Amino acid sequence: MAVAVEYYLLLSAAVFCTGVFGILTRENALMFLISVELMLNSANINLVAFSHFYGNATGQVFSLFVIALAAAEVAVGLGIILVLYRNFDDVDVTNATTMRW
Amino acid sequence: MVELPPLTPQIVLGVTAIVLFGVDIVAPNTRKNGLLAGISAAGTSLAAATAVWFLAAGTGDFRFVQFDGALVVDALSLFFAFIVGSVATLVVVASYDYVREEDHLAEFYSLVILAATGMTLMASANSLVTVFVALELASLPSYALVAFLKTNRGSVEAGLKYFLIGALSSAVMAYGISLIYATTGTLLLDDIAAAVTGTELGGVLGLGIVMLAGGFAFKTASVPFHFWAPEAYEGAPAPISAFLSSASKAAGFAVAFRVFTTAFPLDAVAATAVDWSLLFVVLAVVTMTLGNFAAATQDTVKRMLAYSSIGHAGYVLMGLAALQSGATDANSFVLGASMTHLLVYGFMNTGAFLFVALAEYWDVGRTFEDYNGLATRAPVACVAMTVFMFSLAGLPVGGGFLSKYLLFAGTVQAGFAWLAAVAAINSALSLYYYSRVVKAIWIEDPSDDLTLRGTPTGLYTAVIAAGVATVVLLVAFDPVAQTAIHAAEVLFAL
Repeated sequence: MAVAVEYYLLLSAAVFCTGVFGILTRENALMFLISVELMLNSANINLVAFSHFYGNATGQVFSLFVIALAAAEVAVGLGIILVLYRNFDDVDVTNATTMRW
Repeated sequence: MVELPPLTPQIVLGVTAIVLFGVDIVAPNTRKNGLLAGISAAGTSLAAATAVWFLAAGTGDFRFVQFDGALVVDALSLFFAFIVGSVATLVVVASYDYVREEDHLAEFYSLVILAATGMTLMASANSLVTVFVALELASLPSYALVAFLKTNRGSVEAGLKYFLIGALSSAVMAYGISLIYATTGTLLLDDIAAAVTGTELGGVLGLGIVMLAGGFAFKTASVPFHFWAPEAYEGAPAPISAFLSSASKAAGFAVAFRVFTTAFPLDAVAATAVDWSLLFVVLAVVTMTLGNFAAATQDTVKRMLAYSSIGHAGYVLMGLAALQSGATDANSFVLGASMTHLLVYGFMNTGAFLFVALAEYWDVGRTFEDYNGLATRAPVACVAMTVFMFSLAGLPVGGGFLSKYLLFAGTVQAGFAWLAAVAAINSALSLYYYSRVVKAIWIEDPSDDLTLRGTPTGLYTAVIAAGVATVVLLVAFDPVAQTAIHAAEVLFAL
């Protein structure tokens, strides 16, 4: 029995909101990255579900692009977090405030 | 006779980036700043020249559809390829002196060129897939470039903030795209336009459009995703600040122009989903006011320029705000005016940031007071800086006067006189903080120990070239404006 497509929309909205909540409340840069992953994957849920609904492959192919880009983004992000740790001895995003003088 | 592919500017940039990596593989341990900068400058200027040539030859009069509609080449994409190419040329020439002492130079130049490739592709993107991929291709190298000075706390902090807000906004944008796909079942802009008419899921579609607009707001440093801009521009190496605030912003607007005019025709979307023109009216007013008022309270020149860059994003947003369904001529005029302003802004703003790069090279400090009396030591560069400042403010010493005039006139003609009035008031306010720089460098007395070490050839060349271009655009404004308005006509003539 197939699940109605509206429920996927609800599921993805819930995952997206979880991600937004994580970004707004967490101070650790790594938790921030995980939250962004959640938000990107909520987009993937939509894309795959509606790809099945419409019967074309566009959404599924695009979700592969999104997964690849998320990986690339994490790679760059981890590099930046690494130099953050070297300069500030912490990965707390609220610590890096040298520019507010 | 061999015909060049319409995507030649993008191909040239992509190949240049790979050549730079290749050079570094062949000789990884030798200092080769000059060679790398030379290859980069050759590639970027070739891309810009090709774009001009294609525009002059009339390539842009048609829509060259590439890869089954994923990319398209028309006057708009060529126009923005020229902006990105010429700004990137100025930036790499200036970087030759700025990053001279750093390690990993090949990576630096390749990242600049890869980002430029992404920006030119953004201007050509005709499907939400290519929009997203090109936007990430422009963004990911930019994050690394902002944090390029790995031992400088300001640069790392700027890179972190730019990355965090960038990652957030690209996730919001991806979700927006997925909602648009959910309502229309396609990601090609032309097909979306056909599918949105009479859709029953107006609410979901409207939410998707607003989220997509959020992604573009990040790229163009507009409210509400502007928080990264002052920090990132202040902390980044100054040539990179110039690159991001000019080329990256222009590319963000290019893709916003194409997506909103092609995929979401106002007459179809305004009734069912969301009146995005009204959204941009609000964003334009808030962005320009916030940018200009914040700029007036700054103490450091670079941060002032960062906020002024937000203010200019607000002016350009008027091009989208003043669009109306059915008014084709007025729409082309105001959108063309926006594009012209972005081109002129590309030169004058890049020049201003490169002057800051020059000041950083000399270690004179960051505040307005530190710039006191610079004109007694470096008069030529200060003349150029004066041209940039007054041109940004809209005084008739550079192309900024005419492009602002055209933009305000277009907005009035589209029936938004009050919006143009708000912009004019903002523009008058901006004269205050721009003239503070001019006052500092020309009128104030220098401190006794103000000595400047050397005259860096690359930085000087770039600053003076940008200054000359700004002045030339004042006298040769007409052909540029005609080209831009024509590009907007081609965009609307679907």
